[in-house]
Amino acid sequence: MAKTSRIPYNIKIQKRLYYSRKLSILTTFSAIIIAFGVAGLFFTIIGLNPLEVYSYIGGVFASPTLLLESFKRAIPIGLAALGLSIAFKMNFWNIGAEGQMYMGMLASTGIVLLHVYYGLIPDYLVLSLMILAAFLTGGLWCCLPAFLKAKMKVNEILTTLMMNYVAMYLVDFLIYGPWRDPKGYGFPLSVPFPEYSKLTVMFGEFAYGGLLLLCLTAVIVFIILRYTKLGFELKIVGENIEIARYAGINLSKVVTVGGFIAGGIAGIGGLTIVSGIIGRLRPRASPGYGYTAIIVVLLSALNPWLIIPVSIFFGGLFVAGDILQATLRIPGAAVEMYQALIFLFIVIGEFMKRYKITITRGVVE
Amino acid sequence: MSIQWVEQVLQLTVQMGTVYLLASLGEIYAERSGVLNLGLEGMMIMGAATSFIFSIAYGHLPAIFIAAVVGALMGFILSILAVDMKLNQVIVGLALTLLGIGLSGFFTFPEIRKNILLKLNPSLPEEMLLTQQAEKLPEIPIPLFSNIPILGKMLFSHNVLVYFSLIFSILMWFILFKTRIGLTIRSVGENPSMADSLGVNVYMVRRATTIISGAFASLAGAYFFIGFHPFWREGVTAGRGFIALALVILATWSPLRAILGAYLFGGVETFQYRLQLFGLGAQSPYFLAMLPYIMTIITLIIISTESIKKKIGAPASLGIPYSREE
Repeated sequence: MAKTSRIPYNIKIQKRLYYSRKLSILTTFSAIIIAFGVAGLFFTIIGLNPLEVYSYIGGVFASPTLLLESFKRAIPIGLAALGLSIAFKMNFWNIGAEGQMYMGMLASTGIVLLHVYYGLIPDYLVLSLMILAAFLTGGLWCCLPAFLKAKMKVNEILTTLMMNYVAMYLVDFLIYGPWRDPKGYGFPLSVPFPEYSKLTVMFGEFAYGGLLLLCLTAVIVFIILRYTKLGFELKIVGENIEIARYAGINLSKVVTVGGFIAGGIAGIGGLTIVSGIIGRLRPRASPGYGYTAIIVVLLSALNPWLIIPVSIFFGGLFVAGDILQATLRIPGAAVEMYQALIFLFIVIGEFMKRYKITITRGVVE
Repeated sequence: MSIQWVEQVLQLTVQMGTVYLLASLGEIYAERSGVLNLGLEGMMIMGAATSFIFSIAYGHLPAIFIAAVVGALMGFILSILAVDMKLNQVIVGLALTLLGIGLSGFFTFPEIRKNILLKLNPSLPEEMLLTQQAEKLPEIPIPLFSNIPILGKMLFSHNVLVYFSLIFSILMWFILFKTRIGLTIRSVGENPSMADSLGVNVYMVRRATTIISGAFASLAGAYFFIGFHPFWREGVTAGRGFIALALVILATWSPLRAILGAYLFGGVETFQYRLQLFGLGAQSPYFLAMLPYIMTIITLIIISTESIKKKIGAPASLGIPYSREE
């Protein structure tokens, strides 16, 4: 007995040369199942029935009204994720979708207020100007870190993360200060948006107009990445910066423009929150959609088509969180735990796809 | 502005700053060895949650100890993912932050808390099971020194974790810059393949520093909760882990400069609330709240200049997983 235990285990990690599509899908699904299993274990420990919790979560995707609600939540998440897919394609680690969304909210509210308070803009132009303003502001918010990275190699992970908080406090300042609704009984809310500045104007229901916007953006992102010179250059910059330099690609221009588009799309995501879901601006209007978008885009492997169903799944998780809070009295943070667990196991799954682990026993020659 | 007011503000500044100081000390070690621990916020909030539950169940000292162990455990998980599996440090760090925020959120609900507390210590009285707050760590003024005007309140009238943070920042500065261990850590962050060829176990060093950073982040959370603000609500640390991350950069990866930076950030936060009492505009707190982040962005820009980068020795392979070419 003592003798056998002395034979060492050898753990060998090798890069896989090839893995099938089937295996890849299988890994992703088992990651989601393992995540639910681990969460269930935790629920049991703290004295909740996991099956009851899961039936509520499953119920979200079975009920038409709740599914519609999930679509609504999916729209800002999906838009931010589409923006991120461009940034991540060029290896620009944008953690700042949340801040870019807040800037989008800020800009679109600004346009509404210009219209409501000063009547500067005709009714029919308001929505299109809002979209334009949200795109520009969100874009500029991402353009700055992109420019700094391209020109001075400033770490974009940290700058984009810090700028999230700057944007959030900027919105706080405006909404607690000059933008507060004078008829709002002192609550930190903007004036309610007039009908023609809401995305419901398209089909009467925000979810449909929003989904159309999401799909259109997915098409645009797909075209940019696949068929334009910029998309081609983005890909090379992301894959190998030395080759990009050797090929004579104007690095700082590509990174700055790519960052601008990425932030701009996230900014439109912010617009869908204020003009679609809430109908006015309030502080902390996004419950972390910008961070969820990071998970979504990595889960979909930067594929613009996959982003749509994946963000609907995560939108559903947000809805499930609200329902759990109302019925089982479980805090909304449960959703964050799910997201994190799914995220973790998916990332580990990526590792399993790329590497083969063999454990052998015996002495290696 | 009386002298008492100044004393009070300075005391609060140090107490607030200690949260950032403790969290940044561990992070400095992790980043010096090349691991970016973005899970700081998650570890911090888990530290706060653990200290909340365990201080009610068992008292202060076990609570602090268990919080540090929980943080070290989260650091260990991060080290497996980021060092051994070489996964993207940004992604796994954010995942751990989300996980920490999610897990800690469960403690907000009284029934869940009651279940856990009864399992930990069945002899607890009923009102302890439902309380939202914990007992605050007692202040231990140092005799003689605490009577010095202004300085006495600022530096010598605190709880034990504040003293601990100050002693440890000096100690950790000494280890990092004056000893062989520190040299090893810095070399691993600077040029891991060179360190490896000189016989340093790169993975081991990085694992160790990541675990240390987890323990300190969690300790910071525990200090924040039982030492500063012992009232539980969901998301109690409110992004302070990210401010600590910013502080590491502002301190340019030096534990001694981190003391100054921490008290600067602590002062900014204290002023945010104090200024409102003077009626200095409802707007000022938001711009003051932005200040730490803006200062960090400016620092990042300044230190990315080539000559300054060399001078302060920013870890060159920060965030890059090391894999041995075989």
